[in-house]
Amino acid sequence: MKKTGTIILCVLVLCGMLVGCGSGGGSGESYTIGINQFGDHASLDNCREGFLEGLRMEGIVEGENLTIEYQNAQFDSGTANLIAQSQVSNNVDLICAIATPSAQASYNAADGKDIPVVFTAVTDPVAAGLTGGNVTGTSDKLPVEAQLKLIRALMPEATKVGILYTLSEVNSESAIADYEALTPQYGFEIVTQGVSASGDIPLAMDSLISKVDVMTNLTDNTVVGSLSVLLDKANAKGVPIFGSEIEQVKLGCVAAEGIEYYQLGIQTGQMAAKVLKGQMTAEEIDYEIIKESSLYINEEVMADFGLELTPEYAERVNSVKNE
Amino acid sequence: MDIIIGVLEQGLIYAIMAFGVYITYTILDFPDLTVDGSLPLGAAVSAVLITKGVNPYLSLLAALGCGAVAGFLTGFIHVKFKVRNLLASIIMMTALYSVNLHIAGKANLALFDFNTIFNSGIGALLPASLSRYHTLIIALVMVVIVKIALDLYLRTKSGYLLRAVGDNPVLVTSLAKNNGSVKILGLTIANALVALSGAILAQQQRFFEATMGIGAVVIGLATVIIGTNMFKNVRFIKSTTAVIIGSILYKGCVAGAIALGMNAIDLKLIMAILFLVILIVSRERKKKVKQNA
Repeated sequence: MKKTGTIILCVLVLCGMLVGCGSGGGSGESYTIGINQFGDHASLDNCREGFLEGLRMEGIVEGENLTIEYQNAQFDSGTANLIAQSQVSNNVDLICAIATPSAQASYNAADGKDIPVVFTAVTDPVAAGLTGGNVTGTSDKLPVEAQLKLIRALMPEATKVGILYTLSEVNSESAIADYEALTPQYGFEIVTQGVSASGDIPLAMDSLISKVDVMTNLTDNTVVGSLSVLLDKANAKGVPIFGSEIEQVKLGCVAAEGIEYYQLGIQTGQMAAKVLKGQMTAEEIDYEIIKESSLYINEEVMADFGLELTPEYAERVNSVKNE
Repeated sequence: MDIIIGVLEQGLIYAIMAFGVYITYTILDFPDLTVDGSLPLGAAVSAVLITKGVNPYLSLLAALGCGAVAGFLTGFIHVKFKVRNLLASIIMMTALYSVNLHIAGKANLALFDFNTIFNSGIGALLPASLSRYHTLIIALVMVVIVKIALDLYLRTKSGYLLRAVGDNPVLVTSLAKNNGSVKILGLTIANALVALSGAILAQQQRFFEATMGIGAVVIGLATVIIGTNMFKNVRFIKSTTAVIIGSILYKGCVAGAIALGMNAIDLKLIMAILFLVILIVSRERKKKVKQNA
């Protein structure tokens, strides 16, 4: 009896391990794509939906000639690794990796296996080592210069721009480097404050807000997750916060020259379609960034701060309501 | 087939970390959360050295050394400043988060363009026909070396003292040995192994990520408990072997759940249930032993 339990456990576990070896890859007209998404997050979900839409535009439709194996690593890089290996093992036709660690894990697992990897929502593909080889995709690099122009146009007097960011997010570091390189041209000075977890944000915000005239957000997952805390503290001090994408403006940021992740996903999906149809290999396509930023403003918040758009901006604005 | 190789690779690499947890949790009875910091510490040290052109094998030794320092400090804080064991390890884990970011210089460091232990040195000597097994073979060699070294060490006088500190501290005192120093030694060895595991892991996945240590100690504990409880009554299987098997089974379960198309949200729940089942199974045994006695 005492060994029966052990044996049952062993058998159960082994069954689990062996199940993954069945399904084969698609051929001819129908395709199988593995999606390796790093975590649950509105922007990343938008990327995935845009990706499927981009494929649909090219005639590759889920349920008709496309099978999707979607896996989410819940922000754990070990799980992202296993997902990548599992998708490679299932011999999918292409892996779509969303966010940097998933892209790196997929690239590593697919290396030498002739499975192209198309990534999205990777801010700095060069620093992440995702260039050269059977890999391509889109970067969600922020339109930093456009954002600085916008802040300057709305707030001619401001000099100090505050940025709150998480120390462990590599995307934030590279965005800050971009800001620091460009701010002198626009007469700004950047004041940064790093946090290591969302619990640090209230105190960090108290310290930062007293030193700056205006704040701008990155696409930092932890900070964006606590956006309401930032807005409360900033509003109390009369400091406007500029966002980096539409979702943040909806939550109460003044305005943003941002990228739209859905659009980024569509662009990625179209690249993937080219690779799947054999028109180009992933190696031949350079990674792409969205060149045109979209302008979003929250009119209610604008009015609260007494800010007004200049005519050149008024032409291309997308108004967003508080949510 | 690839996924089985993947499971074995990761299982073997994480087994080295689990040896560390085995020493602290099972042998020393010390809840050591330093692991969450020392795993990425090893990864950061190794990744930075490799990008600076240092031989990847040497980077493993450096990682081992840094992990040892981290473990030593946890022990030192606990023994010399009389800080509770759990708190001492939390202090170290917290400090290491900053230290790791400083060492790596950024939160994510890619190694795709560099040689690792898997494709240079011994790795390059393996026949090309076995290319898909290279990582597995090297991971296996690493684990076997560490396992044998650990088994041999536990049979030395110092190793016996280590075990005595967890089981029967009075005995250690009666042998005129200092409990505290033995504990510090155990933590030093344990975290050296954890950092070694982190270094190998970073080279296998070919990137360092600041958050890669989150939950490491939980994986380690799960591995040790699965392994040691499963083979409790099987005499010929050493605890270290049981830990290796536990680690492979743990990764196998995660991969199995992924392969079955389960949402990653449910993974932890599945592990928790597996945990519980194993603990219940091993509890039944204990009862039997008592009844027979």
